[in-house]
Amino acid sequence: MPIYVAQLGMVLAVFVMLLLSAAVMVYSERKVAAFIQQRYGPYLVGPRGLLQPIADVIKLMFKEPLRPVAADTAIFFLAPILSATAAFAAFAVVPFGAESTFFGLLDEPIKLQVADVNVAVLVVFAITSISVYGIVLAGWSSNSKYSLLGALRSASQMISYELSYGMALAGALVLAGSLSLTDIVNAQQGAWFGFIPRWFVFVQPLGFAIFMIAGVAETNRAPFDFPEAEQELVAGYHTEYSSTAFMMFFLAEYINMVTAAAVAANLFLGGWHGPFLPEYLGWIWFLAKTAAILFFYIWMRWTLPRLRYDQLMQFGWKVLLPLAALNLIVTAAGVIYFGN
Amino acid sequence: MATDLLLFYLFGAIAAGASLLVVLGRNPMHSVLLLIVSFAALAAIYIGLEAPFAAVVQIIIYAGAIMVLFLFVVMLLNAHREDDAAPPAGVTSGPLRAGGVLAVLLVAELVWALRRAARGGDALLSAGPGADPAALQSVRALGNRLFTEHSLAFEVTSILIIVAMVGAVVLARRES
Repeated sequence: MPIYVAQLGMVLAVFVMLLLSAAVMVYSERKVAAFIQQRYGPYLVGPRGLLQPIADVIKLMFKEPLRPVAADTAIFFLAPILSATAAFAAFAVVPFGAESTFFGLLDEPIKLQVADVNVAVLVVFAITSISVYGIVLAGWSSNSKYSLLGALRSASQMISYELSYGMALAGALVLAGSLSLTDIVNAQQGAWFGFIPRWFVFVQPLGFAIFMIAGVAETNRAPFDFPEAEQELVAGYHTEYSSTAFMMFFLAEYINMVTAAAVAANLFLGGWHGPFLPEYLGWIWFLAKTAAILFFYIWMRWTLPRLRYDQLMQFGWKVLLPLAALNLIVTAAGVIYFGN
Repeated sequence: MATDLLLFYLFGAIAAGASLLVVLGRNPMHSVLLLIVSFAALAAIYIGLEAPFAAVVQIIIYAGAIMVLFLFVVMLLNAHREDDAAPPAGVTSGPLRAGGVLAVLLVAELVWALRRAARGGDALLSAGPGADPAALQSVRALGNRLFTEHSLAFEVTSILIIVAMVGAVVLARRES
């Protein structure tokens, strides 16, 4: 099979995987929430409620698409598309396994990722900074006060936490000495003293914590879900959206979560490297690590109450950012002193 | 090579067209969005020039950070449309003259820079297609140049930005 067919297949596979992961995330979110609140959660549609996400999608697709009369039509339709596109695009540079020939099916091994860019980390970062437009434009074009307030909050929150996100990420970059996600994952191969995996989380615990917290803020999840705080803003930036347009925002939120978790697993938890499993089964480690981080996100959402908005800003600028800067300086000094 | 050229013309046309619409458009919100499109097209051209780092930085800083602030201001001012009527005469002539002078200066600068590059004045600019692409796009090489040869310019720029930030904070806090 020629290599470009395999590459096209990879693009398609990643696309379908992301769609499926969003469905799995919706189901697990509801099940975990139910477990935490001592309820059953969805259990009627399909065995153990497994088909619930499909029922949700069908329901949303058959709803009437509404548009406020005073909305800016072009931007109103563009915003959800922008959100969903950005969410899918970010995963393009995330590797999820070692090179593989798929058991001899291919002539030469291909990488388990869509595009191996040598500035992959920055690409993820760039697309994250673009994804804020979907939310901001949705809020503005709806011409509704709740939407606009949600959009403003989202923009300021994402800009504030992007800085800490980037600086926490830079710690791992400095350790690996590369901007390529594949190189960073490969720098975490092996173990110290034979049993502690050489994952960056053990040398960068502060960086990992900052990255996780900022990641929650970047994906607008509870306890940082101010852009859609129900009690104050009805539904925030997507108040005026219904039907498939709403579905796209929903999809984008879950895919952004999956991408943030996958990047965290690659940067700090060693990606597809881990004990016990051979290299070609590394994607199992990758899936397990990503799933663990995603579970942590859901767990956090249903455990912690929402902060106050001024507390969020205070925390972002006065605690998280100085800590992230300190972490970066100490890491850089350590790399120079110990010579990597 | 043909596809490279085709893509260059495609993204070049998008960048130029979007920039024109930014200036000619009457809706400030649409202007902001078209400026983002223009920046994105420029980033695509950078990728075509084997400079992925410049492309990504272009997106992060211009399309990602600066334009969000622009959008913020336009949203808060709630400026829906510019008036179609011509503004009073006294307002136009001054800014128009200043803009004209700036435009002439910019064109002169561009011509000078391109001629200098064509003569082979700058090693990086004149490296051309024959140079080693890995060395050109390496972030490490860029960093080394930035922090050794151009360290003075780098530090001066950072001081400038800090001064601007401190100034903004002082202006904002003066009332209370």
